[in-house]
Amino acid sequence: MFEERQVLVDKFILNVIHRPELIPEYIDNGACEGQTEQVGNAGVVNESLDIFRLQQEIAHKNGLRTTIQMTYSSLYNDECIELVKQYHNEYGDEVGHTFLGMNCKEFREKYKSKELAIWLFPMDMKKRIVADSFERFKEVFGYYPTSTGSYFMDAELLNHIKERYPMVKAAVATCFEEGPKVFRHTNFSWYTLMDGSPWTAWIPSKKNTHAIAEDEDDDIGVVAVPHLSRDLLAIMDNSGDMFGTHPQNIIRGMMYENDRLPYMYNLVDQYQVMKKYNKGFSYNLVYVGPGWMGKDGRWEADYRILKKSYEDFLAYYGKLKKQGKVEDMTITEFADWFRKNQPRSGPICGLWKDIIYGTKNQVFWYADSKFRVQIDLKQGGAITDLRPYASKLSRPCGAGTKANQDVSYPYIVHSRYRAGAFTHYAGEGAIKSCKVRYGSEEVDISSCRSTGIYSEGNRCRILGVRPVEIEFKKLTIKLATTYTFKENSGEIVISRKIIESSEPAAKVEVDEFLTSCWGTNEYPEDLTGCLLSVIGKNGSRNELSYEYRCREYSVENAECVEAVIPQVQTKVSLTPISEGCKGYYEEGYSFAPIFKIGISKKIGLNQELVTCLRVEGAK
Amino acid sequence: MSQGRRGKINYRCPNCLFRDIDFDLLYDRQIDQYYCRRCNWEGTEHEILFLYAVYKRKYKHMLKRYTVDDILAKDED
Repeated sequence: MFEERQVLVDKFILNVIHRPELIPEYIDNGACEGQTEQVGNAGVVNESLDIFRLQQEIAHKNGLRTTIQMTYSSLYNDECIELVKQYHNEYGDEVGHTFLGMNCKEFREKYKSKELAIWLFPMDMKKRIVADSFERFKEVFGYYPTSTGSYFMDAELLNHIKERYPMVKAAVATCFEEGPKVFRHTNFSWYTLMDGSPWTAWIPSKKNTHAIAEDEDDDIGVVAVPHLSRDLLAIMDNSGDMFGTHPQNIIRGMMYENDRLPYMYNLVDQYQVMKKYNKGFSYNLVYVGPGWMGKDGRWEADYRILKKSYEDFLAYYGKLKKQGKVEDMTITEFADWFRKNQPRSGPICGLWKDIIYGTKNQVFWYADSKFRVQIDLKQGGAITDLRPYASKLSRPCGAGTKANQDVSYPYIVHSRYRAGAFTHYAGEGAIKSCKVRYGSEEVDISSCRSTGIYSEGNRCRILGVRPVEIEFKKLTIKLATTYTFKENSGEIVISRKIIESSEPAAKVEVDEFLTSCWGTNEYPEDLTGCLLSVIGKNGSRNELSYEYRCREYSVENAECVEAVIPQVQTKVSLTPISEGCKGYYEEGYSFAPIFKIGISKKIGLNQELVTCLRVEGAK
Repeated sequence: MSQGRRGKINYRCPNCLFRDIDFDLLYDRQIDQYYCRRCNWEGTEHEILFLYAVYKRKYKHMLKRYTVDDILAKDED
């Protein structure tokens, strides 16, 4: 349901989180090279504490307050506990909790496990660890934490925490687009397979953390934030762990020369620009673990540059704070602010521009309680990633579940994992685009580069795609596209209008189509049983249950075309708003494992084809 | 053949880097050579640094500063 709470603000809010990890994986590996594993090596613990102290010192020097997220190991380290109490008393830093950094002697002795990811434990152990670490926190500090976090926190875990510890208001709940691309980047060994969340703060659904809550009943009770604020364009085809508000990640991605990293400032400045698309609000989270500032350096970068990059980065936020351009908060303060000033169900938007590759490329992101949509302006404004939040897919994770490590929210379009506009030899890939035909010629507008224009209407957000020129042998037209996102309705109204033509009397066929499938990674999933339908204006209905048999059907005067994907409990449809449109489905086959639905019509100069793409749950 | 070890600097394999995989190189000190256990790349420190420089070329604006105003101006491009 639409809420009236979103008012105009002018806030760019920063959270800086530090965690005394004590046994960070990277330092531990380095310190122990050539030795058998020694959890709790005194040298590593001391170095890690020194780094934590240094990070805190850098933040305070720049006038920034922090949130200190206590790890399991740090809750058993007296020196660290005393230090944290001092920071809290002296600077007003929040003392919160995290499930990162669990591995330590105490943990291993108690749980007899080397598992390090809270979301991957079996549920009974998740509950034990929650109770254990929260009660230990209370024992140490005299109160329960109001914030927690990990790389991922599934809905089942968050629901449990909220039930047992209702004072928790905020959680670092995912890493944005840290999925198959990052898995590959880490030599297939970093099991954060968690694509599909919003890129900035949101209120999760009780049924799935990735999905934005529908309403009060569906509100999980915490404000969620992604682990870092990432580059919304660079992560589309690259590993996201190189492009975020984490200077040492940028160094890992080699976007620097000597000690110069202008990209990290560019990233912050582009997040300031995001206020333009979110009624004056934008958010950054800086969350650098101590393992990234070890004395041994990190890969080819030495300690000096790792340290300097962090100093420079926080100094920049400090400067912005002095200029009144950013406000630092602790994460619980932020959660309180967010609750008061932002709508529960979104929407959130971002028209992101390339700031690293030297192109004019842009991408538009939109998310609300019904879906998360990525529009690639370089591909003529095609939808290249679509996550159907409307289905609120229950997808428990961890040992003992079907998904286990694969915690991504499934897509129904992903043009990079599933071919998109370009396939080798046969079939089509997953994309939502448009083809224009004239005689025997055909052009997919995903081949026409463009840029976007953002605007807002009454309960809708509008993306205009700058008109593209389409050349046929004997005809040239200019086609304008507009996407109108009707907030929290699951509907996108798409208009294609011919605004110029070299032959004013000529008509072209505009084919508004969706090639879709489902999955969480690059590999095809079973489409058997998907239900494709073409409904005619005369009430006729042709249905097909998917069996990879390459069947097709069309009707000249269509009311609607739709597809139900039971595997992700989602229905997606295209409804013509224009009159006299043809509607069709195409089944696909095993070498082209997608289905296609489309609406087409012949139009001429100053005419348009308007359709409505709708995504809804299908239980 | 001698045991491979981490070198003075923990370089990543440039060949793996080009296909978006971070994989540590090993160093054979007997012949002053780095090599990758995953792929078939082997070479000197000089070659590593050369290939790193090539890798960075994809970031054409790596050293360009985009301020808020610069980014807003892109809307009007």
